[in-house]
Amino acid sequence: MVSAMHLTLALNNREMVTQMDHDLLKITNLEVLYSVDDDLVRAVNSVSLKLQDKETLGLVGETGAGKTTLALSILGIVPNPPGKVVAGSVEYEGIDLLKLSDRQLRRYRGKEIAMIFQDPMTSLNPVLTVGDQISEVIRLHNKVSQSDASSQAKNMLELVGIQSSRYGDYPHEFSGGMKQRVIIAIALACNPKLLIADEPTTALDVTIQMQILDLMNKLKKERDSAMLLITHDLGVVAEVCDSVAIMYAGEIIEQGSLKDVFEGESHPYKLGLFNSLPDIDSDVERLESIPGIAPDPTKLPKGCKFHPRCKYCTEVCVSINPEFIERTFGHFIKCWHIQPPNRGNTV
Amino acid sequence: MNSDGKKNTPLREVWKRFKRNKLALGGLIVLVFLIVVGVFAPYITPYDYAAQDYTSRLIYPNAQHWFGTDNFGRDIFSRVIFGTRYTLFIGLVCTTAAALVGCALGLFAAFFSKLDNVIMRLMDVLIGMPAMLLCISIVAALGSNMRNMMIALSVTAMPNFARVMRAQVLTVRDQEFIEAARSIGASNSRIMIKHIVPNSLAPVIVQFTLGVVNAILMSASLSFVGMGVQPPNPEWGLLISAGRAYLRSEWYMCILPGLAIVITTFALNLLGDGLRDALDPRLKQ
Amino acid sequence: MSVLLEVNELKKYFPTASGMLHAVDKISFKVESGKTLGVVGESGCGKSTLGRVVLHLLSATSGQIVFDGEDISKPSSARLHELRRNMQMVFQDPFSSLNPRQSVSEIIGEPLLIYNVCKNKEEYRERVLELMETVGLAQRYENTYPHELDGGRRQRIGIGRALALNPKFVVCDEPVSALDVSIQAQILNLMQDLQEARGLTYIFITHNLSVVKHISDDIMVMYLGEMVEKSNTKELFATQLHPYAKALLSSIPRARLDVKRDHILLRGELSSPVEPGDVCRFAQRCNYRKEICTQNAPRLEEVLPGHFAACHRVREINGL
Repeated sequence: MVSAMHLTLALNNREMVTQMDHDLLKITNLEVLYSVDDDLVRAVNSVSLKLQDKETLGLVGETGAGKTTLALSILGIVPNPPGKVVAGSVEYEGIDLLKLSDRQLRRYRGKEIAMIFQDPMTSLNPVLTVGDQISEVIRLHNKVSQSDASSQAKNMLELVGIQSSRYGDYPHEFSGGMKQRVIIAIALACNPKLLIADEPTTALDVTIQMQILDLMNKLKKERDSAMLLITHDLGVVAEVCDSVAIMYAGEIIEQGSLKDVFEGESHPYKLGLFNSLPDIDSDVERLESIPGIAPDPTKLPKGCKFHPRCKYCTEVCVSINPEFIERTFGHFIKCWHIQPPNRGNTV
Repeated sequence: MNSDGKKNTPLREVWKRFKRNKLALGGLIVLVFLIVVGVFAPYITPYDYAAQDYTSRLIYPNAQHWFGTDNFGRDIFSRVIFGTRYTLFIGLVCTTAAALVGCALGLFAAFFSKLDNVIMRLMDVLIGMPAMLLCISIVAALGSNMRNMMIALSVTAMPNFARVMRAQVLTVRDQEFIEAARSIGASNSRIMIKHIVPNSLAPVIVQFTLGVVNAILMSASLSFVGMGVQPPNPEWGLLISAGRAYLRSEWYMCILPGLAIVITTFALNLLGDGLRDALDPRLKQ
Repeated sequence: MSVLLEVNELKKYFPTASGMLHAVDKISFKVESGKTLGVVGESGCGKSTLGRVVLHLLSATSGQIVFDGEDISKPSSARLHELRRNMQMVFQDPFSSLNPRQSVSEIIGEPLLIYNVCKNKEEYRERVLELMETVGLAQRYENTYPHELDGGRRQRIGIGRALALNPKFVVCDEPVSALDVSIQAQILNLMQDLQEARGLTYIFITHNLSVVKHISDDIMVMYLGEMVEKSNTKELFATQLHPYAKALLSSIPRARLDVKRDHILLRGELSSPVEPGDVCRFAQRCNYRKEICTQNAPRLEEVLPGHFAACHRVREINGL
């Protein structure tokens, strides 16, 4: 039963999510452990996430929050010592990827699900031309001739804004921003349904970053892929994403549509994040910072993982880890003391 | 500070990692055992290693002579035990000398680019010659005895240390904390001693263990051909050499000292590998 | 307000196989005592090189540096040693800017040892603990090593080291770029507090415009070794004159949904800083490019009161 209020809220979201939508990716209670120097680290702690067709979800968190590990586990490439997926499921179009063998998974990697890693400088093979690297992916997943693959590769280059005449150039002849475009071309070459991008613009200059984000937006409109965009930059999220999930200490603590997360009610951590951003459009004497630092992943606090740094912490927060509370349709917050929508120094 | 209040220096971290490698730990234990044996040799040996006894010549290993006796009736077990002293002494002293001189040269070559070419080309000359040949030449020129052999071994081992140290210093030199040291007014010598050297030791330590292995093998070989330690000293290579004539029948005269060499070098290799692994993550950081 | 640092026509060129690399080209500016000059630009603009040349960590190719009224362009090594007490640097990378084999107190206290500031061990330890407290490091970290601490704390160590000798002037080279967002705010607040308490003068180098807005009094924008625009912070953010500055500002992704997104997209990539010639170095990427831009390098001129820009078409583009 969908009430009028729910319907209005749903219509206000950038992406039309109804409860009948088909989940492209459904992660349920995923747990990933790392063993580091005799200690056990819960990198991903019972994370559940859903992604629809064509949706761009921003996965936000700071260093050590577990975002990259989460991404790697979707593709089954968590480095096996020391990491290990110990529980949960990752369903892609209904099939649990975690239960597949490496051989079966290879059919998905690059074709159905593609990944862009963080550092464009080291993601390309220096001894192959960029054109060959794109056509290699195409031939891996499709039965086409070399010349067909090459012409498809040239199309991909044009698509990402590189002249196709550069097919035969080597990675070292490209700048950082151009390399990242090549990497996007490789990722999209087989028209994947899901693109996972791990901090794709972090290593780039801000004007180049804008070019790449613009490219991503353009491609979003033209193609069918959904994207899981991992970043620590809320500005980037605002530029490209439809929905947002915020990670802290291996857990998702808030999730919802872009509007809800940016302007709706708040988990105290998210509130702190927004308030500690120096904002171009406003003038603040002193930045509000979140006291303390992220918890040691080998010694996570009991109860709510954020409670030692939270100014709204009470007794219940110390002992019991909160469950997701959905006060607004589609907006989930994991907190006993959800904060009202107020960014403090702006709006 | 860690939980037991001791300083959590990088050294402790290395030790923690090293301990986890059982093989390496084994190597270390064997090495320590050998050092103890060498130091306490006079108290362990049942017989005087030089005592000749014509009534007990060429006896196979038995309860009285664990390693048997040689053609002069000397107890081989005692000789092998005393041989440990030679082995360790030569190995450690030569390698240390080579390390000190080589590392100093490598440090200066990397730090003062004007000296780089001169120093490294000299090292190239030394490396260019086959080590064994170089040693033989030096010993032939100076005279066949242990002291000259040790000089030769040190000279041949030195260039490798220079190279290893230079490579590491070149990396460390470009790190920001060196620039930071300059910005707070540190002099060149302070930078070299306090900042560069402590951070350059990792590969040198690994090279050291390999160097000891090399020195032991080379000294055994040189003594075997009569260009090193002279008889009747019980250096292991000499023992093998002495047993050459009796290899067919009294095999224990060669095999047992040979085994001692194998065990020692194996242990050192394991130790070296373990050190490299334990020190490596530090470098990656 | 007195001028603490004055730089005139500073140049730093590096010889390369294909010619001279113009890393810093004819930069001139003044920094008043107690104020912060923000130096902004993207990779390859020369801002880090500029910072190092000012501190004599790199030697200038030509140009003049005047510090506290004294010409320190070519100081003797003894004079330089003395000068360093007053001119310090906070480095970008909290991981590689600290000696992994030194403990926190050793790192912070080293300047005190080098300059023989303290009479005895007790005084030394006291000074070190005082510095640790000033930068917000708990006493219990005295004997810890950098690898045991997070980026934010490591950066505090770097700041403590820079303050040990009570300098008047600190060059901060991207001090918060490598830190998580929630820690960035802590460190920025700390730096502001220190500036207020000690009357420090900063040159704050960064590529992050939002950070520089927050902490700077004046800002200069660099592109490929040259200064393309300079003004006080408020004015620069209200009005950018140079096309690059306009593009730079519009490229910052805003973390809010209510702002109109009007992105100026630059075409192409950075041109080479090697032998750039007498042209506008930004011309290749500029949307306002005309013929004169590829024939003549524009000169920095005061377009509005206190607001400088180097562009042939600056008045035209901005309707002045």
